[in-house]
Amino acid sequence: MKEKKPKMESPKVKKKHDFKWWRNLIAKAAVYFVLICVGFVYLEPIFEMIAKTFMSEADIIDPSVTWVPKGLSLNNLKVAGTVLKVVPTLRNTILWSGGMALAQTLVSAMTGYALSRYEFKFKRFWFVMIVLAFIIPTPVTMIPRLMMFVGVQDATAVQLIGTALPQVSMAVLGQGIYSAVLILIFYTAFNMIPRVLDEAAQIDGASSMKIFWFIVVKMSATTILVVFLFSFVWNWNETYITGTLLRGNIELLPSKLNMFNSEFSSLVSAQGGAFRLNKAYKMAATLISISPLLLLYTFVQKWFIQGIENTGITGE
Amino acid sequence: MAEKKAKRTKSGRTVGYEKRQNRLGYAFMAPWIIGFMLFTLFPFVATIALSFCNVSTNITGYDITFAGWSNYYTAFFRNTEFVPALGSFLGMVIPYTFVILVVSFVMAYLLNKIKVGKGLMRTIYFLPVIIMSGPVMSQILDRADETVQAAQGLYNGYQGVFILDMIRSYSPKIAFFMEGIFDQLTMILWFTGIPIVLFVSGLQRINASLYEAAKIDMANEWQILWKITIPMIKPTALVAVIFTIAQLGTYDTSAIYSLIKTATNNTNGGFGFAATYSWVYCILVLIVIGAACLLFKERKPKRRDIW
Repeated sequence: MKEKKPKMESPKVKKKHDFKWWRNLIAKAAVYFVLICVGFVYLEPIFEMIAKTFMSEADIIDPSVTWVPKGLSLNNLKVAGTVLKVVPTLRNTILWSGGMALAQTLVSAMTGYALSRYEFKFKRFWFVMIVLAFIIPTPVTMIPRLMMFVGVQDATAVQLIGTALPQVSMAVLGQGIYSAVLILIFYTAFNMIPRVLDEAAQIDGASSMKIFWFIVVKMSATTILVVFLFSFVWNWNETYITGTLLRGNIELLPSKLNMFNSEFSSLVSAQGGAFRLNKAYKMAATLISISPLLLLYTFVQKWFIQGIENTGITGE
Repeated sequence: MAEKKAKRTKSGRTVGYEKRQNRLGYAFMAPWIIGFMLFTLFPFVATIALSFCNVSTNITGYDITFAGWSNYYTAFFRNTEFVPALGSFLGMVIPYTFVILVVSFVMAYLLNKIKVGKGLMRTIYFLPVIIMSGPVMSQILDRADETVQAAQGLYNGYQGVFILDMIRSYSPKIAFFMEGIFDQLTMILWFTGIPIVLFVSGLQRINASLYEAAKIDMANEWQILWKITIPMIKPTALVAVIFTIAQLGTYDTSAIYSLIKTATNNTNGGFGFAATYSWVYCILVLIVIGAACLLFKERKPKRRDIW
């Protein structure tokens, strides 16, 4: 703090500069230290999961082994895989989340486009409604939704509960999980595309659907990626609505993971086996359920981060 | 832009233009509006109605009878779990939101400062956005609980920490509160995913010339942080707070959720209770969000925004 005093004297300017350089270095080091420490908090459970997954039973009990297993064992992974019935479940979950995400992305893009390009009546009102739809907690609307679907099912004799139909129809009509956030992301992103382009296309005789598709959608590839990824991940991780409406009829990874303990014990008793549930099995199961997301993230993270920085999802 | 265009076509075609805008706007909004009416607005109103009713299931469908305030009476005075569950929700959401907001802002600020390893750091810090979910969270929670218990078994929590001892001698309550936060810090950190994303993109949108001007006026980093960055980031902070509260509100391992779930699964009159629980819960969440909005409201009256 003393460098303020000799401000007037010219010979000392250089020294002050030196001091600043040192201070900057220390500040940088401190910033990196904090960032790495906190970053480690996020990575540590994943590292531990990976480590525990590949440990043999002897390694788990051995107190001298914490991170690096003595030998590579795929046993945990195998057990978790059989309990989760990993092949069909994984396929189901990918198809499910992908389909829902696709529907959500499309409908939120349309809604965002309408809000960003057209001046229709009660626009502000609909804005408020979008935010409200996001704020109200899911259970509030869940019971009448359930009753509604049961009612329709009884009236038309079409099986609804326990099929994908209710949630698909909700996603297609823009009431999927966190739809409002997706709409607002699209809204701000579309606002940044110059309107001159629309006008030019309009003069050339393009219809509004064409403008939407060939100009606005094609110009916001990173935004679409971000929205799709968000939606994919949220649908992947969602268990409450899925549990109420799907009732486990289509087997999805996260709900399967929720029931891991009971599934495991029933499987073991069916086989007459005697191995008891240890933590490593559950760790392996959790790792299986998040590894597709991690894989996806490592592939698209560059565009994902770019997209986050470009599109103002500050919601303004 | 739209206004400009309206002016250009003012000579007779203004009405047509407006009509077209209206029609096209609603055409693109239509799926969302239909869905909103069907799956959000109607159920929302129905929940309020159901909370005053007894609902029981029979073979043909639902038997709905009006029950007045009895559901509310049962929820608040007869059920011994509901009020504590509400209390624990409030006790969680307020400190959590505060800590999440501060931590995510600090982290985003630091992330914005670094240049080397920027991509890697962001990859790590956006990770919670990807794997934040119920089952995985409970897994992590289990582990956090274990480590806390192990730590307490070893040296009785935070008995030895000098600063906390100092605070404890002043007021045990504050020390207890802080211990709670430290215990759950790992857990809280997992909620910072989206707020950090919001803050990072918010910080990048602050005009760099503002910083330059401040630097020319000999402001130091600290002053710049308080006089420029924080006031400019306030709208983003509001969005982050709303998101955090909504996220905590839909975080499905909280006590209220399990109450609602058991009530929903109870076919004999459970739906009415579930409606009451969720409706009271909804009001609580709305109140908390409203309070947050008031706290973060811009003092300047002239600010155009959509909220």
